[in-house]
Amino acid sequence: MVSSMSRTAFPLLAFTLVYPTMCCRVFAGEELYRTAAESNVNQRYTIESIAVAGVQVDEAKLPSRLRQRMIALVGKRCDVAVLQDLAGDLRRELHLREVNHHLIKGSQPDRVRVDFEVVKKPVDISVPKFLYHSQQGFTGEVNATTHVGQNSFTLGAVSNGDDLTERFTGIVARYENTRLIFDRLRLGIDFEDYHEQWNSATRSAVASDSGQPFDLYRARRNIAPRITFAVARPISVSIGTSFEQTKSEDATVGDRSANAFTAEVHYGRKIEGDTVQQLVDGKYDLRVGSRSLGSDYSYSRHMFSLRYEIKSGRQTASDELTGGALSGDAPMFERFVLGSSSTLRGWDRYAIDPLGGDHMIHNSLTYGYQFGERTAEVFYDSGAAWNFGRSAELRHSIGVGYRQGVFVMTMAFPVIQGKIEPVFMAGMNY
Amino acid sequence: MNSRDLRTAYGAALACAVAICAFAVTSTLPRLLVHLEGDYLRVSVTPHLNFIKDRVLERLKDGASVQFLGQLTITQGPNSPVTEARAVARFAFSYDIWEQKFAVTKFGERLDQKSSASLFSADAAETWCLDHMTIDRSLIPTDRPFYIQLDLREEDPRDRLGIVGESGVNITQLIEFLGKPVKNGPKPIRIVTNGPLRLADLRKAGPG
Repeated sequence: MVSSMSRTAFPLLAFTLVYPTMCCRVFAGEELYRTAAESNVNQRYTIESIAVAGVQVDEAKLPSRLRQRMIALVGKRCDVAVLQDLAGDLRRELHLREVNHHLIKGSQPDRVRVDFEVVKKPVDISVPKFLYHSQQGFTGEVNATTHVGQNSFTLGAVSNGDDLTERFTGIVARYENTRLIFDRLRLGIDFEDYHEQWNSATRSAVASDSGQPFDLYRARRNIAPRITFAVARPISVSIGTSFEQTKSEDATVGDRSANAFTAEVHYGRKIEGDTVQQLVDGKYDLRVGSRSLGSDYSYSRHMFSLRYEIKSGRQTASDELTGGALSGDAPMFERFVLGSSSTLRGWDRYAIDPLGGDHMIHNSLTYGYQFGERTAEVFYDSGAAWNFGRSAELRHSIGVGYRQGVFVMTMAFPVIQGKIEPVFMAGMNY
Repeated sequence: MNSRDLRTAYGAALACAVAICAFAVTSTLPRLLVHLEGDYLRVSVTPHLNFIKDRVLERLKDGASVQFLGQLTITQGPNSPVTEARAVARFAFSYDIWEQKFAVTKFGERLDQKSSASLFSADAAETWCLDHMTIDRSLIPTDRPFYIQLDLREEDPRDRLGIVGESGVNITQLIEFLGKPVKNGPKPIRIVTNGPLRLADLRKAGPG
């Protein structure tokens, strides 16, 4: 209990000291900068037209949300602070190095034309996920991406002890074409090469489990091409294949293939009202390991997630339901794990099931209250992971969180009779 | 003329050249002039300090806002780390693309405390900026000499670089954020007076 508290307290203290310093440095000057922009003498003029890199906004290839924001500014007062915000969003969304707005004299003396000049970025290095978990240690990913026209190439390094039963460490490479033949068709090819580390609880469970022979592999490599078709604005469908090869720790087993057909249907819709904003997001994912693809495993894995979020003023409430089922002979990385940074937070995954389950259901209910850019959250997780034919035990956890942008700090408490063992998590995008 | 005379002539010519160069360099170095006006100590720079130029001027003529942070510091010595008094002012410049005039706004310690001017040239805007950098006379030591230093720096909108986005922390932008002041960011302007000043002398001498 004491060691658990000290494991939690130290990173909490460190994060509490370091994080505000970092944020203050990054965000400092925002208000002053805005005030300076508002004193700009060109504010009194009306925007006649807007262009991006010399191309009129109607014809420029832009995300529709940004295009609509730009079109809405035509005919309005030239608010330089708003133009600066737009330049920042353009840079982020189009992965540009720099975007600057230029004002040019319009056709009449009280009008101006706006042109956003863009400077491309050769390589974009980002940290899409970073997590410190007081029980699991660190999880992180660093990616370097370069864009050539509609093509993007990503090379990254990953060490993940959060998503699967095992910790996997290695490299990822990704190619994506965002406009294959026409706008709605995308092509992506993922390459992953990982080295695996197994927990002693998992090893013991494999050794003692006589029901199903689990293969603990020391490495795995995957090549996964897929095509995504945007059927309509909120719906997209992806189909592809995954050619995954594992190298077993057992020399007699050797290399095994887990080749599968993959499919995903995604629905995402944002409903923006005057006072209430709602978000509906649903996903269904299917993986079918097939001997017709030369796979040593034959299985099917179904997984769905449904998320609903409602925001009104400073208050946010969300509910996310996920579930999955696995049948047949599947490799370990396909099994479902609860007790991660987003499911049954606070629970030790190896105490739930050191091998993961072939069935899973989970629900997470969150309420948040905003203080400026910061959000305080409380959450309640409940879920079960079990194996087919065995009974499922429903577990619960509660916790509090603090969120600012992509940064999140969480203290989670698994609901276990007679014990309080808080787990601390901090990081980004987990 | 023998070789010894020739060497002497060459030496003299070289000494003259060095002296002329030294004079040219020192006479063009900006000097900070100080004078008292009422309860305030004011400064001016000779020759004229031209800081609205190059990229700053281009950005203004593109309709952007540019901020400068100015600081007057009173110290005991030319490189003394101990500050006797300090005054900080923030200036926002913009350029009217239709009327082709410069606008400058000085922000006080509170953002709602501000004064503005509309001027026809960059030189006039720069002069207005320096004219509005003052330090309270009561803060200046009366019993000992002091040095005064002017620092001007363009405020870089680095918080706009998008270091933190929806996809996490962008390392490229973070490197740019941390590296910019050294590599290619705005260069600060610093001018120090040549010698110690006394408040009593300023009062007698007036400007200069």
